Amino acid sequence: MFETLFPILFLVGVAAFIAVAMAGASIVFGRRTSEGAKYEPYESGIKPKGDTRGRFPVKFYLIAVLFILFDIEVVFLYPWAVIYQKLGMFGFVEILVFIVILLIGYFYILGKGALKWE
Amino acid sequence: MPDYNLRLIIPEIFLFLWALFIIAFDLGTKRKNPKLIGYLTMGGIAATAVLLYLYHGGISFNNMFKSDPLALFFKVIFLGSAFMAVGSSFDIIAQKIKNHRGEFFGLVLFSTVGMMFLASAGELISLYIGLELTTIPLFILAAYYKDDRISVEAGLKYLVIGAFSSAILLYGLSLLYGLSGTTDIVMMKINLALLYLNTNGIGWALLMAIVMVLAGIGFKLALVPFHMWAPDVYQGAPTPITALLSVGSKAAGVVAFMRIFIDGLYGFADAVMFPLDWGNIVAVLAAAAMILGNISALRQKNIKRMLAYSSIAQIGYVMVGMVAVSELGVGSVGYYMFIYLFANMGAFAVATIFNDNTGSDSIASYAGLSKSSPMISAFMAIFLLSLAGIPPLAGFAAKFFVFAAGIQAGYTWLVILALLTAVVSLYYYANVIKMMYFAPDNPTIKLNTPLSANIVLIIGVAGLIIFGVYPEPILNFALDTARVFGF
Repeated sequence: MFETLFPILFLVGVAAFIAVAMAGASIVFGRRTSEGAKYEPYESGIKPKGDTRGRFPVKFYLIAVLFILFDIEVVFLYPWAVIYQKLGMFGFVEILVFIVILLIGYFYILGKGALKWE
Repeated sequence: MPDYNLRLIIPEIFLFLWALFIIAFDLGTKRKNPKLIGYLTMGGIAATAVLLYLYHGGISFNNMFKSDPLALFFKVIFLGSAFMAVGSSFDIIAQKIKNHRGEFFGLVLFSTVGMMFLASAGELISLYIGLELTTIPLFILAAYYKDDRISVEAGLKYLVIGAFSSAILLYGLSLLYGLSGTTDIVMMKINLALLYLNTNGIGWALLMAIVMVLAGIGFKLALVPFHMWAPDVYQGAPTPITALLSVGSKAAGVVAFMRIFIDGLYGFADAVMFPLDWGNIVAVLAAAAMILGNISALRQKNIKRMLAYSSIAQIGYVMVGMVAVSELGVGSVGYYMFIYLFANMGAFAVATIFNDNTGSDSIASYAGLSKSSPMISAFMAIFLLSLAGIPPLAGFAAKFFVFAAGIQAGYTWLVILALLTAVVSLYYYANVIKMMYFAPDNPTIKLNTPLSANIVLIIGVAGLIIFGVYPEPILNFALDTARVFGF
């Protein structure tokens, strides 16, 4: 039991040591200032403006979600295409079922007018 | 082409396609015909039941999908609860939901498909996917009144709790897989027994798995101490969806519990396996559910919250039969859920009708209902008395068999506690009846019920009376499901 788990325990030990050593070293040797830019989310980035609850039209969100949906459909097609020869007719029918179900979804969002920008 | 035995999942395929059809049809007809869509949905559910009768019995997808008596029995319960939920939601569809009627029915059907796959799962991964397909549509349905804060809160709470409990369940399942090296439940049973005999090292990992799976399914069942979400979600969700949650989704949790614990962890039910036994843990949780559910229900002013606590208590009674791990135990749990379908769906249907007509959910507003709507009051009284377990209604027979199974398995203390809390439960069920019949009259509105809701009420009352007087056919069917586990 212990022999098999030893590498994992060793790794945990090394990780803990590195973390503690880095944080500790910066506490011991670091210079401490507390003014201005220190309190911003990104110390050397662009200046933040406004708060995080800014509003933007929901249309962007809708388009993004729908894009992801059909993007994933394409991702599913890749592994199928790679082993198309092995799956043969059966795989073809299965992927057809999958596409038809998504196609119904596509006509549904068209019918709902989700893709109209105005 | 590999032999997947697709014949067996024809009912599920049909119901799935029917859900797509309902959504597309509603959109295609410009949402003009809410009633027609409702009746089409009910017809689709009935057609699925016919297909289920024609195509069942066997194994497909390499044991991932089992069409055995247990699955068949619970699928009938799921279809019944979906049928009754759709039937009682016609007024809500006509009045409150203007834009997403087809989606409402479609999501109910998707959830039902998930429950059906769950009941047939012979394997942990398909079981998990079935559970997810059951709950994800219910998240949306719980938040269906988009402009109502309570409903949105209910949906959000259910989403967070549901996602959380799914994650815990998945951890538990992965531990079970790690210990047994297989996701097939029957193989898991064998491998766990072999592992137990060969080594003494599985102790704590298996205990972790048991506790995590129990917590994950406990959340779905609203078993104490995993019940906190139930009252709020039940109160906020549209009432027919509350009914579906409390019957369909709960029965799905019960069948998942049976598949994992009574089948997969069969060897670890008994107290001699201490500390690896799950029987005593579940018995304690059942006791807690009965005490907390019944006592909290006493103080409720809102009928949906009252029924929510009552359903927490009811799942405690179900668990009494479950811990028995015997033929009578499994059979009585199935019978209990079957009767619970009629009583609870009926009670929620009356609450739906009342809310549609008066806009109120408070128990006090039921005062004098028996004068203006004698039939509906009588039906409500029958549903509540059956939930309380008064003979000759079916609820009595259901409680009787569950308690008999508990005594047979030696859980006498649990059964005594169950009897005591059942007496307590009579108070809050009878309180509603007292309001309807004996409270001083205040002006009440005569309830108008759509035809479909009347069908639901009549099914509920007929089921309770017929199976209360003559329980044999359903009980034999339920006892037959125990064969699945080799009892």
